[in-house]
Amino acid sequence: MKARTRQIAIERTTLVVILALYMIPVLWLVSTAYKPPREIFSSPPSFTFSPTLFNFERIFQLFDVWQLLKSSIVMSLGTTVLSLLLGVPAGYALARSKSRYAIVVAYFFLAIRTVPIIATLIPFYLMMRDIGLLGTWWAVILINTTLNCAFVTWMMFSYFRALPRDMEEAALTDGCTLWGAFYRVALPTVVPGIIASALFCIMFSWNDFLTPMFLTNSDTKPLSVALLASFGTKDITWGTLGALAHFSTVPIVLMALFLNRYFVQGLTKGVH
Amino acid sequence: MATTSVGSIDFPQRKAARLRFQDRRRLFLIALAVPAVVYVVLIALWPLAQGIWYSFFDYNLLRGGGRRTFVGLANYAELWTDSTARRALINTFVFTFAAVALEFVFGLCLALLLWREGRFNRICLAFLLIPVTITPVVVGLIFRALLAVDYGFFGYYLAEWGISGPRGFLASTSSALPVVILIDVWEWTPLVALILLAGLKSLPGDILEAASADGATALQRFRLVVLPLLLPTVFLALVLRVMDAFRVFDIIFVTTGGGPGDATNSLMVYGVKQGLQFFNIGFASAIGNVAILCIAVLCAAFTLLIRRADVRANET
Repeated sequence: MKARTRQIAIERTTLVVILALYMIPVLWLVSTAYKPPREIFSSPPSFTFSPTLFNFERIFQLFDVWQLLKSSIVMSLGTTVLSLLLGVPAGYALARSKSRYAIVVAYFFLAIRTVPIIATLIPFYLMMRDIGLLGTWWAVILINTTLNCAFVTWMMFSYFRALPRDMEEAALTDGCTLWGAFYRVALPTVVPGIIASALFCIMFSWNDFLTPMFLTNSDTKPLSVALLASFGTKDITWGTLGALAHFSTVPIVLMALFLNRYFVQGLTKGVH
Repeated sequence: MATTSVGSIDFPQRKAARLRFQDRRRLFLIALAVPAVVYVVLIALWPLAQGIWYSFFDYNLLRGGGRRTFVGLANYAELWTDSTARRALINTFVFTFAAVALEFVFGLCLALLLWREGRFNRICLAFLLIPVTITPVVVGLIFRALLAVDYGFFGYYLAEWGISGPRGFLASTSSALPVVILIDVWEWTPLVALILLAGLKSLPGDILEAASADGATALQRFRLVVLPLLLPTVFLALVLRVMDAFRVFDIIFVTTGGGPGDATNSLMVYGVKQGLQFFNIGFASAIGNVAILCIAVLCAAFTLLIRRADVRANET
C-alpha cells in the first residue's frame, strides 16, 4: 500500500510539472494584457507589475472590437449551422442505407477532410472573385462548410451506425412517417453527437486563420486575422495583443471547459 | 380467374405495398444525403479539379494580363529544381515526422499518467484542453513573444546565458525549425494524450486484471497486453496528427513566416505565398496537388503499417 501511495505521489508531481509547462505561457499572455507597456518591454523582463486596464482601453481605440467579434461569431455560427443542416441528415442516410455504395460515399467525406486547404483555396478565391463574393462572410462560410460538413457527416455516420434500428422500425410499423422516424425517433437519441459536432465546427471556424485572411477584407475580418494584422503596426504592443487575444480565446476555451465531456467523446468518435 | 379468396388477392397487394415502401425509403435516404454530396462536390471537388487543371499552365494574375499558357508538367518540374520549393518539401516531411513522433511519445506518457480515475486527474484533463482549443495564431504569438531576445520571458535569459544565439532561437537558421516543431508539440501533445486516454479507458478491465494476476510486470503488461489492444487508437491518433502536421501553416506563418531564409518554409506556407501573395496560380496549384499526393501516400503507408503490426500482435 505504501508503494502505491508513493507511486501516486510521483504521478501527481509529474502531472503538476507538465501542467505548469502549459499554464505558464498562457498565464503570461493573460498577464501582459494587464501590464503597462513600459513594463512589458523592460529588459531584463520584470516579474512584478502594477495591473492596469490601459491595454483594453487601447484596443477599443485602435480596433472596432465589436465588429471583429461579430465577424468571428457570424462566420463560425454560419459554418456550424450550415454544416449541421447538411451533415446530420447525410450521416443518417449513409448509416441507414443498405446500398453498398453508402460506405464508399462515407469514405469520400472522410477523404475530403484530409485535403490541404491550399489546394482548394486558390481556385475558390478566383471563383469568389468572379461571382463577387470575395471579401464577404459568405466566402469564408462556404469554403469552411465543405470541410466541416464532411466532418459532421462522418461523425454522425458513426453515431447513427452505433444506434440500433429497432426503435425506428417499430415507429414505422406504428404508422410513423419516414421523416418522423428520422426526426422524432433517431435524432433525439444522438443529441450528444450533435453537440460534439457543433462544438468542433465552432472551434474549427473560430480558430481558422488562413481562409479569412485571404477571403475577407478590413470590414469583415475576424479576430484571428486582426490579431496578426495588428501585429507589426507601430501602435501595437504585446499588451494590446494580449488584451485582444482575450476576446479570441476566452469564449472558445470556456466552451470547451464546460462541454469537455462532449469534446472528448467527439474526439474519439468523429475521427474514427 | 375464379379464385377470389381474400388471401390470394391480398397477398400481392401487400407485397406491392411493401415494395413501394422500400422504394420510398430508399428515395427518402437519397434525398437526405444528396444536399451534402452536391455541396461538397460543387464547393470542394470542383475547385480541386480546377486546381489540377491550372497546375499545367503558366498562369500568373500579375503578369501577362492573367493569360494562361499550357506548359505541361513544367510547374511540377520546377517544384524539384527550385531550391526553395525543394527545401519546403523536405522541411514539411521533417516537421511532420519529428512533431508527430514526439507528440506520440509524450502523449502516450501523459495518457498513462492520467489513466487512473480520480478527481485530480479529471481536473488535469480539463486544463489540458486549453492548448488544444486556443487559437493557433495566438499560440504562435505567445511563443514568439516569450522567445524574443530583448524582453521575452525565456528568450532574454536564453540569449543572456549564451544558450541561444544573440538574435534568439527563431532567428537562427539552425534552431528555427526545431523550435517551431517544439511549439507544435506543445500545442498538440494534449490532443494525442486525450485520444489515447479514451482508448485506454475503453480497454476491457478483466484482461488487464488477469495479466497482473499472472504476475506480469508493469512493462510486460504494457508491451504484451495494453499496446496491442490500443493499436486502433494509436493508428487513429497518428493518422489524424500526420494529416494536420503536414498541413501546418498558422504556427510557422506567425512565428517565422517561413524564415530565416527558407529554414522553416513548409509546403503550405510556400504555396500560400506563391498563390495568394504573388498570384502565381499555376505553380501554387502544383504545390497544392503535391501536398494532396503526399498526404494520400502517408495515410496509405500508415494503414499498411498498422495492419502489419496488428497481424503481428495477433500472432504473438
